[in-house]
Amino acid sequence: MSRRLTAFFVAALLGGGVVAACGSDSNSSGGGGGGGGSTSSSSAPKIEGAKVIDPASMNGAKGNVTLCMGKDTSGDKTALVKQFNSANPGITAKLLEFSTSADEQRAQFVQRQEAKSGECDVFYSDVIWTAEFASQKWLYDMTPYLDSKKSELIPATLKTVDYAGKLWGVPQQTDAAFLYYRDDQVQTPPTTWQQVYDVAKQNDGIVYQGAPYEGLTCDFLELAFAAGGKVLSDDQKKSAINSPQNVKALQFMADGVKNGVAANGVTTYMEEESRRYFESGKATFMRNWPYAYALGEKKGTAVAGKFKVMPFPQFEGGGKAAILGGHNFVISAYSKNPAAALKLTDFFISPEVQKTEFTDYSLAPTLASVYDDPDVQKKYAFAQELKQSVSQAQARPVSPVYPQISQAIYNNVNAALSGKASPADAMKTADDQINKALATF
Amino acid sequence: MAAAPVTAGPVPARRRSRGIPERRLANLMVTPSLLLIALVALYPVIYGVWVSMHQYSLITAGLSRWASPAGLGNYKEALQSSEFWDATRVTLIFTVASVVLETILGLAMALIMKEAFRGQGVVRTVVLVPWAVLTVVTAIMWKTIFDPNLGFVNQILGGNTVWLGEEPQALLVMIFADTWKTAPFMALLLLAGLQVIPSDIYEAAKVDGATTWQRFTRITLPLLTPALLVALIFRTMDALRAFDLPKVLTNGANGTTTLSLLSQRTFQENRLYGPGSAIAILTFILVMIVAFLYIRLVGGNLRGMTED
Repeated sequence: MSRRLTAFFVAALLGGGVVAACGSDSNSSGGGGGGGGSTSSSSAPKIEGAKVIDPASMNGAKGNVTLCMGKDTSGDKTALVKQFNSANPGITAKLLEFSTSADEQRAQFVQRQEAKSGECDVFYSDVIWTAEFASQKWLYDMTPYLDSKKSELIPATLKTVDYAGKLWGVPQQTDAAFLYYRDDQVQTPPTTWQQVYDVAKQNDGIVYQGAPYEGLTCDFLELAFAAGGKVLSDDQKKSAINSPQNVKALQFMADGVKNGVAANGVTTYMEEESRRYFESGKATFMRNWPYAYALGEKKGTAVAGKFKVMPFPQFEGGGKAAILGGHNFVISAYSKNPAAALKLTDFFISPEVQKTEFTDYSLAPTLASVYDDPDVQKKYAFAQELKQSVSQAQARPVSPVYPQISQAIYNNVNAALSGKASPADAMKTADDQINKALATF
Repeated sequence: MAAAPVTAGPVPARRRSRGIPERRLANLMVTPSLLLIALVALYPVIYGVWVSMHQYSLITAGLSRWASPAGLGNYKEALQSSEFWDATRVTLIFTVASVVLETILGLAMALIMKEAFRGQGVVRTVVLVPWAVLTVVTAIMWKTIFDPNLGFVNQILGGNTVWLGEEPQALLVMIFADTWKTAPFMALLLLAGLQVIPSDIYEAAKVDGATTWQRFTRITLPLLTPALLVALIFRTMDALRAFDLPKVLTNGANGTTTLSLLSQRTFQENRLYGPGSAIAILTFILVMIVAFLYIRLVGGNLRGMTED
C-alpha cells in the first residue's frame, strides 16, 4: 500500500514538475533570447552606420517585396496590396500577417530582426516601437525620402518616427483621442480642462481610462503634456517626470476622483468599460478614441444623437495636447529589396490610398489634405476635430525602454488616483523607476 | 494474424539467452521517451536557469554578459526587491485561501454528486460548467459583475465599493473567482476518490451502529486522503502559478501581482530576460518546495496511518 502511494505521489509530482517547467519554458523562449549585437554608446542616443534609403531607387524598382503586419482584420491592406500589384507589374508585393495581439506582433518582428532575416521588407510598426527598432539598427533611415514628403503630412505625426535626430519610418495611419460630451447637457464646449471638470461636476461627471495599463499612460500624458510637463529630459538620458507641472496635472486628476467628478470605479476602467458607462447615459464627458463615435450613435444607446466630440481643451496655465496612436511603415535594414519596399511605402501614403483607408476602413490618414476631402467630411462628421486633435498631439516618450517607462507611469498614476499615494510621491517613485529603466540599456 | 503469437513467442527467449540482456533492453526501450522528456521538460528548465544567470541589455552585449556576482546578480536583485516579496506574499495568500475554500466546497459538491438521486446527471453536468469556462472568460465575467456601476454586486449589496480598485477587495474578488472556477475540478477528483471506496465498509459500519458523522470522519476522510492529496497538490501548484486571472482582472493593480505576473511583465513586456527568468526560476523553486512539503508531511502521516 505504502509503496503504491509513494508511486502515486511521485507521478503527481512529476506531472506537476512538467507543468511548472512548461511555465518557465514559455517565459524563456517567448522573446527569442538572441543578442542585440550592436555596439554600446555611452553618450546621448546616436545611431551610427545605419543604412540610408535612396529616394530615387524606387523609380526602377522590381522584384518581390513583403509587408509584415498584425492580422489584417479589416482587410484593407490585403485589398490595397492587390491594387498595388496590378498598378506595378514589375513588383510582386505580398502580405505576411502576424498575430492580432500587439505584443505578439512585436515579438514576431523582433525575432526575425534578431536573426537578421530579410523576410519582412516592410513592417507596419506601432508608433511606440519605432524608436526601439531604430536603436537596434534594424531600420533604414528614411530621412532623405521624407524630406520631400514631409510637408504633406500632419507635422505632429512625424514625432513618432523621430529618434536620435533622424526619421526612421513613414507615418501611415494615425489616431488621437477626443473629449466626447453630451450636447444636451453642455451648451458651449468648455475651453479648459478645469472648465470641463467644473461642468462635469454640475452634471454627471467624466469617465476615462484609469486602470493601470497603457491607456492610462495616454490619459495622464494628455493632461501632463498640456500642463507643460515632460517624461524624459531633452537628451533622453534621464527622467523628467518629477516636475511641478506633472504633479499638478496628477493632482488635478486625483482631485477629480476624490470629489466624485470622475466616475466611481474609473481606476479600474479601460476603453470598453468607459464606453459602456458613457453609452448608458451616466457621464457628461468621456475621454476616448474615435472608434467610440459610431458605436455611440447606434440605436439602443442612451446617448445616440445626444453627444458631440471636441479636441482636448487647454490646461489652465499651459497649452493643448493629445497623444498620438497609429502605425508607421518602417523598412527593415535586412531587406533584400529596399527599392520595392520604398515603392510600396510610397503607395500607402498616396492621397487616394489614404482616402480609401479612411472612408472604407476607418483608419485615420496622416496626410493633412485627406481630412478636407468632401467625401471624407460627408462620411465623418468629426473629420475636422480629428485633424485638430492629431495636429495638437504629441508622441509618447520615444525610447527603447518605453514599456518600462509606461509601466512606471500607469502604476504610479493609478496609485495616486485611488488615493494610495500622494501625487508628489507617485511622481517621485515613477521618476526612480524610469531612471532605473533607462540605466538598463 | 493468428500465426503471430506463435512466432513471437520464441523471439524474446532467444534474445534473453544470447542477445542483449533483458535489463539493458528495457533501458534501451525507454530511452526515446527519456530523451523526449529531456527535450521538452529538462532543456527549457536548464535554458531558463542559464538565461537567469546572465545580464541582458538591449543595446550593449546581448546575453553574453555574466550577471555578477557569480551569475547570481539577478537573483540577488530579485530577492532584495520589495516587488518580489509583495508578489510572493500575494501568491501565498491567494494560494492558501483559494485552495482551502475550493477543498471545502469541492468536497461538499463531491458528496452531493455521489449520492444517487433523480437528476444526478444534470447536477454533475451543471457543477462542472464553471470549470469548463476559460479562465480569461471567467475573469472578464467577474470583472463585469463586480463593476461598481454596471455590475449587479453593488446593486444587491448596496454601497458603491470599487471592488477591483481597492486593496484588499481586489484580491478577495480574485480568490472568489478562482474558487468559483476550480471548486468543480476539486469535486471531480474527490468524486473519483469517493467512488472507489467500497460500499460494504459503510454497510458494516452502519450495522455496527456508526452515525453519519462517524462514518464520514472515520471512513470517508481517511480513505479519501490519497485522492485529496493529489487534488491538493494539483490545485496548490496551479494556484502558485496563477497568471491569467490577475492579468485580466486587474493587471496586477491593488495588491494582486502574483509571481507569474511579475515574471511575465519583467521578461516579456520589459524584455529584461535575465531578471525575468530569475523570478520564474524562484517561482519554480517555491512550487517544488511546496510539493515536497506535501509529500513529506501528508505523505508521512499517511504511511503511519496505513501501518497502524
